[in-house]
Amino acid sequence: MALQKNVLFACGTGIATSTLVSHAVTEAMKERGININSTQCKATEVRSMLNGVDLVVSTTQLPTDLGVPVITTLAFLTGVGKADVLDKIEATLRG
Amino acid sequence: MDAFLSGLKAIVDTLGATVLLPVVIFIIALILGARAGKAFRAAVTIGVAFIGINLVLGLMLGTIGDSAQAIVRNTGIQRDIVDVGWPSAAAIAFGSSVGLWVIPIAIVVNIALLMARLTRTLNVDVWNFWHFAFIGSLATAATGSLGYGLVIAALMAALALLFADWSARAVQQFYGVPGVSVPHLASAQILPIAIVVNWVIDRIPGINKIDLSTETIERRLGVFGEPVVLGLIIGLVIGVIAYYNAGDASTVISKVLQTGMTLAAAMLLLPRMVKILMEGLLPVSEAAHEFVRKRAGDRELLVGLDSAILIGHPAAISSSLILVPIAILLSIILPGNRVILFADLAVIPFIVAMTAPVLRGNVFRMVVVGTITLAAGFYVANALAPLFTSAAVASGFTMPANAVQITSVVDGFLWISYVVIAAIQNLAVFGLILLAAIIALCFWLYRRNTDAWERAAGAGEPVEASQTQEA
Repeated sequence: MALQKNVLFACGTGIATSTLVSHAVTEAMKERGININSTQCKATEVRSMLNGVDLVVSTTQLPTDLGVPVITTLAFLTGVGKADVLDKIEATLRG
Repeated sequence: MDAFLSGLKAIVDTLGATVLLPVVIFIIALILGARAGKAFRAAVTIGVAFIGINLVLGLMLGTIGDSAQAIVRNTGIQRDIVDVGWPSAAAIAFGSSVGLWVIPIAIVVNIALLMARLTRTLNVDVWNFWHFAFIGSLATAATGSLGYGLVIAALMAALALLFADWSARAVQQFYGVPGVSVPHLASAQILPIAIVVNWVIDRIPGINKIDLSTETIERRLGVFGEPVVLGLIIGLVIGVIAYYNAGDASTVISKVLQTGMTLAAAMLLLPRMVKILMEGLLPVSEAAHEFVRKRAGDRELLVGLDSAILIGHPAAISSSLILVPIAILLSIILPGNRVILFADLAVIPFIVAMTAPVLRGNVFRMVVVGTITLAAGFYVANALAPLFTSAAVASGFTMPANAVQITSVVDGFLWISYVVIAAIQNLAVFGLILLAAIIALCFWLYRRNTDAWERAAGAGEPVEASQTQEA
């Protein structure tokens, strides 16, 4: 059975860039055998959305004391270094 | 040409955005090289998003509009221009006759300026092309001519690239985002204001020493960053002022609570609907990215991204949390104002984020600059509301019977929109030429004195550190 993980995607609006990243990561992780249950939110809402979240992926800066792994990356927007970040995400989710 | 364009506009008006935009998006996606199945699904999704946005907009406008009328009756305060928020503005923009053309126009402008070596930014942020379409659709609403709207959209696309190049070094250094620039008109427009105000504050003894700590602000005012709660609170307050005398206690209480819940719902649902629109645009945006990259040559380019990537910075968050109550206060005390703020109270970070490099992240100064910008913005919004409203109607959005007008902070509050509309209303074609000339002059001045311009925007020394980070 594939691994099931909850990932929270954050950006300034919870709509624009986080939608793009959420799609990219969810598709890529599916190929690697991890099913992602994705939610999205604004950077200011992250703290109240953390319940049950395994990983936060953000396109903008987040507080450092969330108690959940956070990966902040622009790779999915710029296209530079996508593979590295995907490896990192996979490692965090399997770890 | 004019007959062709007006015929086209007639077709657009009859079919409406829900039908026509999907067709156009499908064709554009195919031309840019997306797969047919993907393009088709994307196109239908976009049509669905329009229907969703229209529903929520109706809910929100109905509630706020009725309350606004009750408030006028109760207090004599006339606040009948409703802030429907950027999600609505974006939908109006993409659903307008200009919106149908904006994607190819902005791509052509970008490629042309890249080839002419007049810009370094590859604007892959297709979503935010709506800002160009929006100002274009205001121009079309003002003149009744699609041609004006298209030219304005093209000029705005160029202007956004100029702002992106200009602020790139400052943004990269301050926010730590190498290789990126932000061609986002609504965020960039504050730059000139920030530069001037900063210069003034630097010269006022005492005031020039003030700064605020971001942590206490985030803890105390964090609630203003949560849209549902913000929507509920504003809804309750509006409800109380509108219905405190609506009858016996139980009627009053139920009316007030209903207003609160409805507006909380609108605050949450409106962005959700726009997310559907965003999902529909994804394949187009991916295809456009590839399309432009292939044609841009091997040059090292800046990737133009949404200013949403800047908004998580503590300085941006803190200053906009403080600006929420300030903006509401302004809406009450500014003489002559008719705007009732609502949906865009959630996106004030977009207005102030780009000031952070100029102001070195000084929250106090960001609040001052933000306040000045918003105060001016109210008058822009009051002036542009009739055009905003008729642009919405032209895009097929239903306006409620309670005779309200609409606006939004993003982009209804922007001085750029005002300058553009003033120019074409007063000078017609010469206005277009004048705007084009001014933008061209700015391009030229920036190229002549790039370093000074970038320093003004808040860039420091071209440090080695940022380059090692890149490598």
